[in-house]
Amino acid sequence: MASTFKPLIKASRRTMFYLFVVSITVMIITPLFFLISLSFLSTDASYSYPLPLLPSLSENYELTTGERGYLLSLEQRNGEYKTMLDTDDMEKMAVYMKTRLSTPISIPELEELTARVDHEGTVYFKRRSDLLNNYYTFFQITRDAGPAFIRSLQIAGMTILISLSIGGLAGYAFARYTFIGKNLLKFSTLFVRMFPAIAIALPMVIILAKMGFYDQPIGLSLVYSIGSIALTIWITSSIFMGIPESLEEAAQVFGATKFQAFLRVTFPLALPGLAAAAMYAFLGAWNETVSAIILTQFNPTFSVVVYQSLVGATGQVNLAAAGGMVMAIPSVIFTFFIRRYIRQMWGGMTI
Amino acid sequence: MTTLTMEKVTKQFGRNVIAVKDFDLKVKDQEFLVLLGPSGCGKTTAMRMVAGLEEVTSGQIFLGDRNITDLPPRKRNVSMIFQNYAVWPHMTVYENIAYALKLKNMDKQSIDLVVQKTSGMAKIDNLLERYPSQLSGGQQQRVAVARAIAVNPDIFLMDEPLSNLDAKLRVSMRTELKTIHHKAGATTVFVTHDQSEAMSMADRIVIMKDGEVVQIGTPDDVYHRSNSLFVADFIGTPPTNFLKVVIKKDQEGTHLKNAHLNLLLEPGTAKTLDGYSKEKLILGIRPENIILVNEEDASLSTSCLVTEPQGSHQIIAIQLDDKIIKIVAAADLKIKTGEDLHLNFKQETLRFFDPETTLALSD
Repeated sequence: MASTFKPLIKASRRTMFYLFVVSITVMIITPLFFLISLSFLSTDASYSYPLPLLPSLSENYELTTGERGYLLSLEQRNGEYKTMLDTDDMEKMAVYMKTRLSTPISIPELEELTARVDHEGTVYFKRRSDLLNNYYTFFQITRDAGPAFIRSLQIAGMTILISLSIGGLAGYAFARYTFIGKNLLKFSTLFVRMFPAIAIALPMVIILAKMGFYDQPIGLSLVYSIGSIALTIWITSSIFMGIPESLEEAAQVFGATKFQAFLRVTFPLALPGLAAAAMYAFLGAWNETVSAIILTQFNPTFSVVVYQSLVGATGQVNLAAAGGMVMAIPSVIFTFFIRRYIRQMWGGMTI
Repeated sequence: MTTLTMEKVTKQFGRNVIAVKDFDLKVKDQEFLVLLGPSGCGKTTAMRMVAGLEEVTSGQIFLGDRNITDLPPRKRNVSMIFQNYAVWPHMTVYENIAYALKLKNMDKQSIDLVVQKTSGMAKIDNLLERYPSQLSGGQQQRVAVARAIAVNPDIFLMDEPLSNLDAKLRVSMRTELKTIHHKAGATTVFVTHDQSEAMSMADRIVIMKDGEVVQIGTPDDVYHRSNSLFVADFIGTPPTNFLKVVIKKDQEGTHLKNAHLNLLLEPGTAKTLDGYSKEKLILGIRPENIILVNEEDASLSTSCLVTEPQGSHQIIAIQLDDKIIKIVAAADLKIKTGEDLHLNFKQETLRFFDPETTLALSD
């Protein structure tokens, strides 16, 4: 009896497994897909319902005489034309077509078209969409986006530097030395991560202000380092523990100083762990928004700029999406760059 | 190559743990000396102090006439083979051997020459471009050996270098290490807890227990002239058999007796007991020194508990009260379980131990 059910059970197990994998994939891919798609959509399209899945590469227009001047209509997905604008101001129409519809057009071109309308009545024309329009606009209209990007990179870089130098050395000490209160101390490094950023933000403002680091990249990277030092300690100490002490001792016996032994033997072997810790530090610092909103004023980080592009009167979802995409690029590049080392840790090399 | 002298070396960890206590040792030039003892006896700590990997709490260590007690490891000119080989996994075999030479600012050509020579000696000259992860345990061991030879040290330290190898390889590596030792003419200190390894490799063996030296001697000395119960028990497989006996003197001579045994000592052997005033005694006898005899010549009669054939010989176990006594006998002897056995001892091989001090009565 049981044997007849076996293939069935096996098949259903496989099915469940694939369902699980697929749903996880869908859960990850769907939001990402919408973010990417949204970042290329025109303002008009991104606020339409239902939202188009993909940006259109060109738009078909109808231009005819209207009550106030010329009537501009845009072909919808169902083939009908929807009135967008009725004006005789060519500059207004050009701006509208660029900012709302992502199809830039020059005023002479428009004047040529209106001349044809005057002559022939209704004119149909097609314009190519500028898919990167949102990206240009994001950097043009958001306050300080370019410098904020540089600032965010600085902060992330400094956070890596601080948390790796302090956390890495501490991790080494935890791995190699025994001292009183070691376990308690190691555990206590996690205490700082127990408090939500928002809860300690105000004291941080005061402390940073007193240090003179408020609204400065170094201030934020110090704050970020607190959390990532703890994580770095845990990652690196387990890595260092996995590297036999005898490797270092061998180097010392064969002529190296203690520091040389660390630098030439332990450090290269710990690189995967250090790379992983660096990645966590980078991602943490790069993506963090809440503390950054509170701890900056005139020098926001990029994530704050993206956040601001979403909220308030000027907020536009497609611009925020473009900002989000720009924000994702360094993370992706950094992760790819560091992937080689992390792969080593996950079974590429045996010690 | 040179001599190693350790004078009253003590190592204390924390406040209470004394790992090595008043350790005195002289290793002769080109000698192969083995530190032997159960785990935790301080043998490795003693060696690590020679290497400079542990600080000395008190005492002095000399290499030749150089006092190296407080020198960092790199200035001692020793080389070491570690239990886990400790070959550097991110360097090729060539780089592993060459690293120490590079640190000595040797030029490229000489390094090349030394690497070729030593890798040839260790039989890994065809593996120079490989990484350690691509090598077997035995090959990694050879890399460690080649690396140790390459620096031309004053002394070789080997910390249980064979214990991670499988049984067969371990035995063949013994021979090779010894061959290399002779070729390199190197003074060597070798740490192990494996007594058969110690016996087969050592010029002299230092047996340690609880941080102190129990006996120093050639393999012959420690085997046949064990100075204490500990050594007699630790050395040899199967170990020495011990029998608690009382001394009885009558007109026949000196008898050693217990519930099963009545042994009349030959006059020569009985002399060893002169000056021993206590009544009780522990008799030690190596398994191969118990012989099967006729009933009338027997000092001990019992039945066979079990036999363990070993090919070249067999081990016969008998039970006296709760004690198992083992006898090494010829392989062709047909003995069945439960069969009556009549035994006697080769008197010249008997060892006597004081039950209170656990020390041997003779040298």
